[in-house]
Amino acid sequence: MTAVDVAPSEVRRERLGRIWEHRPGLLGWLTTTDHKRIGLMYLFATLVFFAAGGVEALLMRTQLARPDGDVVSPNTYNQLLTMHGVTMIFLFIIPLTTGAFGNYLVPLMIGARDMAFPRMNALSFWLFLASGVFLYSSVFMGSAPNAGWFNYVPLALKQYDPGPNVDFFALGLILNGTSSTAAAINFLVTIFKLRAPGMSLNRMPLFCFAILAVSFALLFALPPLTVDCAFLELQRKVGFHFFDIAHGGDPLLWQYLFWIFGHPEVYIIVLPAFGIATSIIPTFARRRMVAFPLVAMAELLVVFIGFGVFAHHMFATGLASVTLVFFAAASMLVVIPSTIQIYAWLLTVTTGRPDFKAPLLFIGGFIVFFVMGGLSGIMFAAIPFDQALTDTYFVVAHFHFIIFGAAVFPLLGGLYYWFPKVTGRMYHERFAQVSFWVTFAGTSLTFFPMHIVGLLGMTRRVYTYEPQLGWNAYNLIETIGGFVLAAGLLMIAGNLVVSRFRGEPAGPDPFFGGTLEWTIPSPPPAYNFAVIPHVTSPYPNWDRADRDADEDRLERGELVLEHGHETPATTEQDAWLEEILEMPSESPWPLLLALCVALAFVMLLWSHPVVAAVFLGCGVLTLAGWHSDEPVEA
Amino acid sequence: MTATAARLQSSRPSGWWGMALFVTGEATLFGTLFGTYLYLRLQSRHWPPNGIPSPKWALPLVLTAILVSTSLPVHDALASARRGRLGRARAALLVAACVQVAYLVVTLTLYDHDLHRLEPSASAYASIYFTLLGAHAAHVAAGILLEVWLFLRLLRGLTRYRLVGLQATAFYWHFVNALAVLVVAVQLSPLL
Repeated sequence: MTAVDVAPSEVRRERLGRIWEHRPGLLGWLTTTDHKRIGLMYLFATLVFFAAGGVEALLMRTQLARPDGDVVSPNTYNQLLTMHGVTMIFLFIIPLTTGAFGNYLVPLMIGARDMAFPRMNALSFWLFLASGVFLYSSVFMGSAPNAGWFNYVPLALKQYDPGPNVDFFALGLILNGTSSTAAAINFLVTIFKLRAPGMSLNRMPLFCFAILAVSFALLFALPPLTVDCAFLELQRKVGFHFFDIAHGGDPLLWQYLFWIFGHPEVYIIVLPAFGIATSIIPTFARRRMVAFPLVAMAELLVVFIGFGVFAHHMFATGLASVTLVFFAAASMLVVIPSTIQIYAWLLTVTTGRPDFKAPLLFIGGFIVFFVMGGLSGIMFAAIPFDQALTDTYFVVAHFHFIIFGAAVFPLLGGLYYWFPKVTGRMYHERFAQVSFWVTFAGTSLTFFPMHIVGLLGMTRRVYTYEPQLGWNAYNLIETIGGFVLAAGLLMIAGNLVVSRFRGEPAGPDPFFGGTLEWTIPSPPPAYNFAVIPHVTSPYPNWDRADRDADEDRLERGELVLEHGHETPATTEQDAWLEEILEMPSESPWPLLLALCVALAFVMLLWSHPVVAAVFLGCGVLTLAGWHSDEPVEA
Repeated sequence: MTATAARLQSSRPSGWWGMALFVTGEATLFGTLFGTYLYLRLQSRHWPPNGIPSPKWALPLVLTAILVSTSLPVHDALASARRGRLGRARAALLVAACVQVAYLVVTLTLYDHDLHRLEPSASAYASIYFTLLGAHAAHVAAGILLEVWLFLRLLRGLTRYRLVGLQATAFYWHFVNALAVLVVAVQLSPLL
């Protein structure tokens, strides 16, 4: 017997490290199935698209800074406007919240070693990236989508928009939708099947409830958009008739299908932000969330009601009064679950011992903007008010308070909050707080005056305006605000980039957070958890006895799963340990399949359906290759 | 193998959940298509529009009945595989695939025939008619590919991975067959 000084737990960690080791170099990233690496790739890709969408916004604001502006031509302005909307919604917020935050955090929060379908996870990322490149290739060809992000027909039909602009939009969104659908299915199965033993649904972190709600919403909301875009392409490319009266179609059909997707979309955008808020608030208020089960139910309820309010986007299209009244009432109903959450956040902060570090400041900003955007939202549920102000800048103000103020602020707070976890280093706190105030001021300056110009009658989507309308000062303030906002965002980026290299070491748990991601080292090892944790409450990191028991189990080698790429599966509701799953490791197939699908879409755009079919056939072959790589039988 | 097979009957594996959720999404997609059909119909005074004959009912109904009956061999393949009777599972899968291929060939021939008598670009009716049938045929084709792949894998024996694949594919086929009934009902609804 040799003298062994190394503790068994260290031996086990080392063995796990070898089993889960990444392939080195670029090839390792291209073939990775690690949810953390995929999450980071989502993060970097979405931030590039965010920058592009931001530049588009600043160009528009520069054009509108003064009356009779001539910075860009009307045609360019239409393309900027459309690409700004498409980018921020489909290439920034959804992939950032679900793809980056969801991917990185959900397995860590539920105590799993990967997503349920790691290769499909990689496929989601590559398809998303392909859809982004596809949409942005139109910009370099000078024919970016130009019919607005909701692309109303008949404007978007071939007769009125003959170039490939709208085809980029329709095909790009179908491609993007396949990516989001795959991601949604992956999240749902991961959340239902891979939770750590003991994490019954009522002990699941609220962030995961938010991702659960979003995934359900994506699953039911995206098919109508896909069908709508497919109808549009069939009409534009093949001459089918869905949207023109002359042949028995109806232009309103586009709007129905678009908004059946488009309104749940709003909650898809904002719910992960709620989830981030419910992660940050308990940590910095140093107490559990008030009304935990109510908040979980409210998150799900928002999505459910969100499917029944879509026609409030169509109050000005001449629908029957009974329809209008139904949808107005349903729209008011959304206030109830939203308010439950707002009170729960505020009460948690006020009854706790809040420490206003940068992440909590961003959540404060979020609550302010969410209340303001929510109040203007209730106004729009009143039908006459909506009919008076539809298509004015008042609407633009409302939805930017929601989509930027309420959805993006928690994301910025979340970037700071989880930065130490991801990089192992602290950001600069003082500079982060300054960046919050600059961003907060920029957002208010940019979007608040839009309420006023909207009430003064300035319509949205106009590329310029005349000087004598009394809008000049407001527009100038908005433009200045836009640049202040950009400065704030650059400060955040600068803080994170510098801290990545120069920051203080953070340790595993710098904020004493409650959820499982804080129990493991920073940055997390490839295998996430050396021992699969056993969970008895929604804030497992605050249960010291449980965590000590985990350490003991690691010493004993109980539920360490050190014989392969393994993670446990548990029952859907109660999370009783069911079986040990063998997880796939690196695979080239997701990238190849995404490439085949993307090329098929390019061929559809160029009207070569036969070549597209050939590429889809190649896709089927890659799927066969993918599935011939079977896990080893235990 | 038998131990895992027994456990599979009590609890659903991730692969089955993945397919169930995928099917939920596809059901929504078809729900949207049905909704569009009804919406366009309610917008029109004549449905089908003047000059277009009503759809024939006998052959589509017979074809649908044949397709729906393949749920039996598909179910049998899964049940046999669970009991470890690999030969019977393979045979049942092959029977199902052959009938489904025959169905697909006849359906596509009819589709082609319809294209000659009715241009999809003639009216909204023709557009949604061909879109709906085409979408369903595509789902049948995808299901056949899944079965052929499974059959080839089962030639090399049964593993847990393949059993989950079979379970998911069987679920998919029951869905496609249920959908066939709804599609034919919507397609023939002008006769009512």
